[in-house]
Amino acid sequence: MDIRLMKPSDIPHVQQANITNLPENYFCKYYLYHAMAWPQLSYVAVDTSRPQKTPYDYPKIVGYVLAKMEEDPSDGITHGHITSLSVMRTHRRLGLAEKLMRQSQRAMAESYGAHYVSLHVRVSNIAALHLYRDTLGFTNDKIESKYYADGEDAYSMRMDLSDIRLEAEQGRREDEDEDEGDAVGS
Amino acid sequence: MPQTLSSKDQANFRSLVRLYEAKQYKKAIKTADQILKKNANHGETEAMKALTINSQGNQEEAFALGKVALQHDMKSHITWHVYGILWRSVKNYDEAIRAYKMALRIEPESAQILRDLALLQVQMRDYQGHIQSRKLMLQAKPTLRQNWTGLAVAHHIAGELKAAESMLETYEGTLKQQPSRADSEHSEAALYRNMIIEEEGDNERALEHLNSIKKTNLDRTAVLEVEARLLLKLGRLEEAEKAYRGLVDRNNEYRAYFEGLEKSMGLDRAKESDIPKLVELYESYASKSERLDAARRIPLDFLEGERFEKAADAYLQRMLRKGVPSTFTNIKGLYADESKRKIIIKLVEGYLSIAPEKSESESNGDKPDRLRESTLFYLNQHYNYHITRDLDKALKYVEEVIKLAPKNIVYIQAKARVLKHLGNVTKAAEIMEFARASDEKDRYINTKAAKYQLRNNDNDRAVKTMSKFTRNEAVGGALGDLHDMQCMWFLTEDGEAYVRRGKLGLALKRFKSIYDIFETWYEDQFDFHFFSIRKGAVRAYMDLLRWEDHIRDHPFFSRAAINAINIYCQLYDDPSLAGPQVNGSIDFDKLDANEKKKALKKAKKEQEKQEKVEAERRESERKAMLKSQKAQKKDPDAEVKQADADPNGKKLLETKTPLDDATPYVNFLLEFAPKNIESQFAGFDVFVRKAKILLALKCIQAAHQINPDHPGLHERLTRFRKTLDASESSNPKVAQVIKSCISIIPAS
Amino acid sequence: MASEPQPSTVHEGADNEDAPVPTNAEDRKTAAAMSNLEGRGDEDDSRNGKHVDAEALGKAMQSLSVESGADKAAEKKVKVEAVDVSLLVEQLELSKIKATELLKAHEGDAVKAMTAFVMAAV
Repeated sequence: MDIRLMKPSDIPHVQQANITNLPENYFCKYYLYHAMAWPQLSYVAVDTSRPQKTPYDYPKIVGYVLAKMEEDPSDGITHGHITSLSVMRTHRRLGLAEKLMRQSQRAMAESYGAHYVSLHVRVSNIAALHLYRDTLGFTNDKIESKYYADGEDAYSMRMDLSDIRLEAEQGRREDEDEDEGDAVGS
Repeated sequence: MPQTLSSKDQANFRSLVRLYEAKQYKKAIKTADQILKKNANHGETEAMKALTINSQGNQEEAFALGKVALQHDMKSHITWHVYGILWRSVKNYDEAIRAYKMALRIEPESAQILRDLALLQVQMRDYQGHIQSRKLMLQAKPTLRQNWTGLAVAHHIAGELKAAESMLETYEGTLKQQPSRADSEHSEAALYRNMIIEEEGDNERALEHLNSIKKTNLDRTAVLEVEARLLLKLGRLEEAEKAYRGLVDRNNEYRAYFEGLEKSMGLDRAKESDIPKLVELYESYASKSERLDAARRIPLDFLEGERFEKAADAYLQRMLRKGVPSTFTNIKGLYADESKRKIIIKLVEGYLSIAPEKSESESNGDKPDRLRESTLFYLNQHYNYHITRDLDKALKYVEEVIKLAPKNIVYIQAKARVLKHLGNVTKAAEIMEFARASDEKDRYINTKAAKYQLRNNDNDRAVKTMSKFTRNEAVGGALGDLHDMQCMWFLTEDGEAYVRRGKLGLALKRFKSIYDIFETWYEDQFDFHFFSIRKGAVRAYMDLLRWEDHIRDHPFFSRAAINAINIYCQLYDDPSLAGPQVNGSIDFDKLDANEKKKALKKAKKEQEKQEKVEAERRESERKAMLKSQKAQKKDPDAEVKQADADPNGKKLLETKTPLDDATPYVNFLLEFAPKNIESQFAGFDVFVRKAKILLALKCIQAAHQINPDHPGLHERLTRFRKTLDASESSNPKVAQVIKSCISIIPAS
Repeated sequence: MASEPQPSTVHEGADNEDAPVPTNAEDRKTAAAMSNLEGRGDEDDSRNGKHVDAEALGKAMQSLSVESGADKAAEKKVKVEAVDVSLLVEQLELSKIKATELLKAHEGDAVKAMTAFVMAAV
């Protein structure tokens, strides 16, 4: 399984993975909007072991994270937001969701200076809750009542990205220092 | 002759434009009518009124008025511009471009018309026209960075790399000071320029340029990837290795990085002497983290014999003990190699004896090992796989694993798969339905249950199953939502089930909807022609354009297109298929004439009855929906999606020109997926019926190039020979072409 | 796992400019963002303009107009028979322009042109 950036050509299979697994669905253009507005943030998990059937096969997507920057943050703090995250049931236990999230989170901090990342998750989704809280370190922000179309509540969760952000900024500073000193590389 | 408005009416006209822009359509119409009362044939007012009517969703009326407006005032850029917008809104971009050009000729200074024209031109891939428009836009406003980027992109997609780069370079040269490092437009433009230099093939300069932007660029991943790639291409291996190691440290589950690392270390998988070094490399990464898959899985690709066996054993045991359900999926790529296949199955079958039914660890109170359960599941998948298929064994193993974990729906699903392969689709669907009912909140299993219902030709139940997760208040209910959400797999499987049931109208309907979704997907790029240039995220935009250029090579499209073409060919061969169909259980051909008539009559009655029921159902659905809309107090001005006038595809089915209807599908297949032999067959099947001999010949000729031994080719060659023999050679030049291409065609 | 409903204001295909006005705040926000896509917004050049060196820009613009005088490649003159064009249009379902191009590429020889077309590599 490869973890890599989502490209426009991945979208048909991302869309298929989404509508197979989750009740919240989007048409192609909404995925495109994410890919065009924040091209660094969305990642896919790809089944690399699949034999080709035709010369036109596209990589099979088994998991994805669709992410964005919050456009007009109500708290005034630059932050990222997970629009959708899903891994096919047949590809659980590989830690794909976590790996996808980590890539996206770093890009939020590195490319956009995000201070934190937020998301919504159904209160009944125990497995997802475990991933966010215990594995990734999200905290519960609040409960949004009747957030979903079927009336279910959502946990609004968030995770601080200061460490990654500061690390990225420091890395950039070091690059500069190095530049001013000796020649780069060996 | 155009009329001149009084100053009062000029003010009215200005407010008309404002009202239109504020989307206050009713007031806009009122104002337009007020002006027209005194100036009956005022073209520009009529044009604005037409535009407003169009926005209200009444296209026909809008067009009629738009034309009248044009007749009344041919010399107004407004009437032409509106005419262009009307064409644009019905997606006839050629006509729209023509109208915009006329408008622009009259009003060359209009930035808005020029921009609209440029957007249409790039959508239509009129590269040179687009360059011209972008150039004019730049000349009108050279201080705007996006105009330079826009022209660069225009050159770039036209293949003019040098010109593209020079635009970006020139703009940079005009900057008095470096933009701030948070300026994402600048950061993107820098990487975009780098992308162009690399595409020009000048790796040296690309690297030099990259180094100049590296430290400040906001897209760290892209910078590091490009750097590693360029170093490798330039043969600066030591630095390349360092760069690739850096990338792997950031993302250790991406094969492209490992491949780059191997190359930069000068390692070659085909060289026996390199194998130990490769093994060492991957072991060093594998030992870094328990959770890493790639570093453990990749060596299985290049190891052979004993070394392979040892590594495969370790990999498989590790995965199976963890209970990773995708172990087989992750391994099956190795099955193309027979010796590896044999080693793997020997290993996995051996695990059954390591993990007897009662595992010791369990009684020791340790964490229970999943080895036995996973092994059984692996064996099930192995024997269900087409290369190694033995369905009796597959069934045996899946039943054993279900005994161990009766509630695991992945296993239940696996059992259904075996039954499907055994040909028992009904039982398979039942099992999936059972699994679905055991976890109603899980859309994944719901999806699979619906799919199996379709495989069992149970279209109605499948929609009902899907409806548990769709927005059923959508126009057309659950099925409507599945269309809206572009649920390709469902539409395709639904259509194929209708084909098997002989309901060709409904089948055509579904395949057409796939065709339409691809149209929409092509259309989807339109707004980004503006958005992406303005935002400056141009590399992603180039990716989008390049993908859109070939979206219809997607297997989702081919599958639907080939299905549709098959139906059209059947309809051409037997037009009676468009009429009422006799129940499939009767062997129609064996009946005598009188009985046939009776059977047909009965069938017709049945169909009428069904249609009536269907119509009533739709009517009640519609009423329910209206009611719910009222209950939600929906905005009455909101766009209301029209219900489908031909929900059963009756009109599609009753076509008088089935081969012409198949043509758009054929053209796309042959243009975008010519290397797929099924595309060539589909093309042949249509052309041979249309008596387009040379086009038919081109298709079998191409098919022959792709795979001369394909079973589908032989029958088509024979058919071609027969067609040739039957047709009196019309044109001597055509005959000559056939003669010179004939080597693959059997003699008569 | 994590999941957002799709905003109701997002439209597929090329946007028509007449999306209904959203009624809640969340949707309005997205609508505002997506309306950037429509290409109707006013362009703001203030943030760029002041960084630009007017003199350098003037020079750049001059070089632009010089450069646009691209030279046209001399087209080879090949005689093409009208009958052959119609034959290709009829047999190969090509447009007139495409048929003429194909003939020209094969010295106006219809048999050669059609043979090449049929035998083209996939």
